[in-house]
Amino acid sequence: MHVSQQIITLARLVILTLVPYVLAAQGTMLGGRAGVFSVAQEGIMLVSAVVGFLGAYYTGSLFYGALLAMLAGGLVGLAFAYFTTTLKMDQFVIGLALFFATAGLSTLIYKIAIGVTLKPPLIPTLQDIPIPLLERIPFLGDILFRQNVFVYFTIFLSVGLWYLLYRTGLGLEIRSVGENPLAADSLGVNVTLVRYATTIVGGMLMGLAGAYLPMAYTGTFTEDIVRGRGWLSIALTYFGGWAPHTIFLAALFFAGVEVFAFRAQVTGIGIPYQFLLMLPYIATILVMIPGFRWAREPAFLGKNYDREKRGIS
Amino acid sequence: MTTGVLSPTGRIRSWTRAVFPYVLAILVAFAVAGAFIGSMGFNVLRAYETILFTSFRTPYGFIQTLTKFVPLTLQALAFTVPLTAGKFNIGGEGQLIAGAIGASVVGILLAGLPGVLLLPLVLLGSVIAGALWAAIPGWLLYRFRISEVLTTVLMNFISFSLINYVATEMWPDPAAGHPTTVPIGKGGMLPNIIARPPLHMGFLLTILAVAFVYIYTTRSVGGYELVATGANPRAAHVYGIDVRKLSVLALVLGGALGGLSGGIEVAGVHHRLIEGLQSNYLALGILTGLIAKGNNLAVPFVAFFIAILEVGASALQRTMMIPGEMVIIVEALIVLFVLLSDVVKVGEGA
Amino acid sequence: MGTHLVSMQGIRKTFGDVVALDNVDFHLEKGEIHGLLGGNGAGKTTLMNVLYGLYQPDAGKIYIRGQEVRIRSPRDALAHGIGMVHQHFLQVPPFTVVENIVLGTLPKLRATTHLEEEIGKIRALAERFGLEVDPLARVEDLPVGVRQRVEILKVLYRGVDILILDEPTTNLTPQEVDALFQSLRFMVDQGLSVVFITHKIREVMAVCDRVTVLRDGRNVFTVSLKETDEETLVRGMVGEQLDVATSFLFSGRREEARPRSFGPPRVEVEDFAVMGDDGTLAVDGCTFHVRAGEIFGLAGVAGNGQRELAEGLMGLRAVARGRAHVNGIPVQEGATREILNSGVAYIPEDRLEDGFLPRASVAHNLILGYHTRPPYRKGWFLDWRLVFQTAWDLIREYNIRTRGPHDIAANLSGGNIQRLMLARAFAHPMKVLIAHNPTRGLDIPSMEFVYRKLLEQRAQGVAILLISEDLDELLLLSDRLGAMYEGRILGILEHPPFDKYVIGRMMAGIPAETR
Repeated sequence: MHVSQQIITLARLVILTLVPYVLAAQGTMLGGRAGVFSVAQEGIMLVSAVVGFLGAYYTGSLFYGALLAMLAGGLVGLAFAYFTTTLKMDQFVIGLALFFATAGLSTLIYKIAIGVTLKPPLIPTLQDIPIPLLERIPFLGDILFRQNVFVYFTIFLSVGLWYLLYRTGLGLEIRSVGENPLAADSLGVNVTLVRYATTIVGGMLMGLAGAYLPMAYTGTFTEDIVRGRGWLSIALTYFGGWAPHTIFLAALFFAGVEVFAFRAQVTGIGIPYQFLLMLPYIATILVMIPGFRWAREPAFLGKNYDREKRGIS
Repeated sequence: MTTGVLSPTGRIRSWTRAVFPYVLAILVAFAVAGAFIGSMGFNVLRAYETILFTSFRTPYGFIQTLTKFVPLTLQALAFTVPLTAGKFNIGGEGQLIAGAIGASVVGILLAGLPGVLLLPLVLLGSVIAGALWAAIPGWLLYRFRISEVLTTVLMNFISFSLINYVATEMWPDPAAGHPTTVPIGKGGMLPNIIARPPLHMGFLLTILAVAFVYIYTTRSVGGYELVATGANPRAAHVYGIDVRKLSVLALVLGGALGGLSGGIEVAGVHHRLIEGLQSNYLALGILTGLIAKGNNLAVPFVAFFIAILEVGASALQRTMMIPGEMVIIVEALIVLFVLLSDVVKVGEGA
Repeated sequence: MGTHLVSMQGIRKTFGDVVALDNVDFHLEKGEIHGLLGGNGAGKTTLMNVLYGLYQPDAGKIYIRGQEVRIRSPRDALAHGIGMVHQHFLQVPPFTVVENIVLGTLPKLRATTHLEEEIGKIRALAERFGLEVDPLARVEDLPVGVRQRVEILKVLYRGVDILILDEPTTNLTPQEVDALFQSLRFMVDQGLSVVFITHKIREVMAVCDRVTVLRDGRNVFTVSLKETDEETLVRGMVGEQLDVATSFLFSGRREEARPRSFGPPRVEVEDFAVMGDDGTLAVDGCTFHVRAGEIFGLAGVAGNGQRELAEGLMGLRAVARGRAHVNGIPVQEGATREILNSGVAYIPEDRLEDGFLPRASVAHNLILGYHTRPPYRKGWFLDWRLVFQTAWDLIREYNIRTRGPHDIAANLSGGNIQRLMLARAFAHPMKVLIAHNPTRGLDIPSMEFVYRKLLEQRAQGVAILLISEDLDELLLLSDRLGAMYEGRILGILEHPPFDKYVIGRMMAGIPAETR
């Protein structure tokens, strides 16, 4: 019984850790399936972590905090869509510039709002909400159905996105925009609208991923709260094959590595902790070796669409 | 679009054509930032004055600007040299740390050597360490075609733990309250070219690096192939250029420059390894490279300007209590407006 | 005469400094096949892209059935019953045929798992117009001919009655062309009206009721086919730019009194096989040779391994089987530089992707591939003075419109990019030339220019491998002519005159009877 209890604890932890990875990666995937590829995840997560934290701190409600964080992420997404889809500026360069701008902004906002304090302000962390009936399923009930609301949302989101993309007319349109926007446009699909919508919603999901960090883990905001999870989520998107359901499964690996590194530090296994801290990044580099081979990215990923741009003739 | 504002009247000389968007971008960025600073209740004009003129008011301010110029230029080159071949090196930070570790290892282990030997070895150690750190993403790109964007970033995070390990476990200085190593040998420290206020020789090394990069990329056969690869790797390949090898070479060159910036921080500034010595040079270097639009020759000029802003920013924080991060917003805005000026030009069909 | 079905009046369209359409009028009547004839760059496609809502005109009016309309997007055009089939298929390769066809017509939240009704409708349409396809096949798995049917079905599915076809015969064999013309007649009989964009006079003569000729973005004339002849159309297409009487392109080949003599083989290919991008053999056992002073033509529908063959011979792909020598160099992957430096010039099919450096200077572009050998190379450095001198000369000789060798190549227009690529290939001494679709995208005077250059090189003893999807071009220039089908050469005709239907059969996969 003791061993199974330990397994359940670990599995619960993995699910808990999975959330920000999945949210950020689904956001990346959604924009990417319409051809818009952002590399500002890390910055968006930072700025929405601070916005979510401050929102929760001042309103006293995690819900409003999360809502504000989504708004912040959505705004960055809107800016990204405007610069790339409307102004046709290079997606990667704009993503990079937005990453640095938002990362700088996050510290600025915190300093303006809170300043430098000896004792940082705290917000309450998320409560577990058991789901009636389902929580009684042996094993699975403990692991999946006595979690916080973000966990439920993440699962629901992953299933919902899969249905949307692969089973509806709208999904067909979104995917066609990422594969061949000229074909989509020539059949009357509104390429600009699809790209704006997916980029903004994608930004909101990244924002939610950022807000989760202070709300679930620390209760405070620190500058190193994201620790590369934004960048890792890009790798996860590739490793997860640019599809919602496989991204969710692939995230188990990312969360698993993080949980393992964390547990190994706590229990101590004779390896200097600095090398355990490196583990998620090294593991990610290693899984990208097969990941980049099997990931079939959307054909127009990262490419802007300009209807009136002429070819060689 | 603001086409009307920018539409050129008749023919303008090409250098004005090149500089004009920059001036405009800087003006607009300052206007936006000024509105922000003003709305927070600060004196906008005094803030502008502090940002722009701190560097020129005192010799100390000017030397400080030149000292900042060194890592900014090298970090920017670490970004723009691979970019010449179309590769994105976001790993300048890790390469700086690797270079700093390389310099420290040499400087501590061989502390007894005389300066004529130790200093070149320390610098060489940093260059090699930086190049090797960048060679890992390079190899992954060459062998498995993994995008260098992600791997160079992830290598940064790995370097954070590595520097912490070296500074706390290998040669810790127990007297320091922060992860720090013991100092490197006296011979490994960069001599000053100006004594007071002190300016170390790293400034000259940086100018040399700029000259080397410029001549290599614009005059040599290898530089031609780098440019061709960056312009269109597929076409370069079709016409006999080994694109994959060149991409790795470009990343390794960038890593070497990033490593040198770390070596100079150790040998010229801190004389030991300190966790956090990379400051925010990566962000500033890449922003510099973006403002220079990837042009290697424009990098030192932009870097000097950014150094002025950075020195101004710390004065802003000291004297007016305006957070120094304000300046990174200004810099990001400049990037955006410089890039926007290109969009406008394309819109004109120029 | 009453109201036209479609009437475009005074259409003007510019791209930057380039005027693509200048005050163009176009009228389409109900139930006709209306040819839109002109060379590359004449503005045919641009005009129809305006009608289809892909381009917004700078000036001009469009009337449909007498009503003035503004067409802001293809969605508007489709609503007015206008459908367009582009020369480059606008398809989503990983989608199925039915998904490609219904895209954009489904309600947003409609489940895509049950498309039986749509499939039924497609089947009915396919039967009615003789356009047979499997609705559940993936588009990326289909051959070019079938993909074209999908493209036509896509617009018919939307119930259009005005059909625009942009160079629809590009990738068809002569036999398939005949079949297409038949189904066009069939569509017109059922009440459709067709705009047929082409640069081939013979096709206009074969299928159109009326024709509008464009040149340099302006109207030349519109006539009924009954009232015109080939000669008039040729003069309309080329105008004063070219003296038709002395033109090689229009006067056709003049056979030499006695057979030409050739030098030793410079390209020798034996049982040569090359892997394609999808991991199957794209070139599967080709055997041929090209001798000094001859043009060996290679015909074939696009995608039958021509591209892989050219790339294989240039050392850009791994050799899977057999062997080949180009200019005496044994061909293997990675030998590209050695092959080029031995005196081989290469004109790749996709000039923009495979030959052009947009973010480098014009001078950089002009020495690509020649930069590692004298006279440009001096030790570790390039002799930039010489490079710039040469660049100025070539800019003048080839009439490349640019500010100079320093100018960023991305500033060049499409036609100038083409001339830049040709200048690079023809300006340096060579012994072997491998050219793939060298005249694609060129206007008529430039085509004539390329033909003359090819003949000039041939006269100087260069061995030329001319791979082309333009059968007329091959019939005109080749000393010997082969046809490629699914990675093999199905037959080689040893001397002109060539029978185009024999070649056509080989292009469709039927081996030639031995001659």
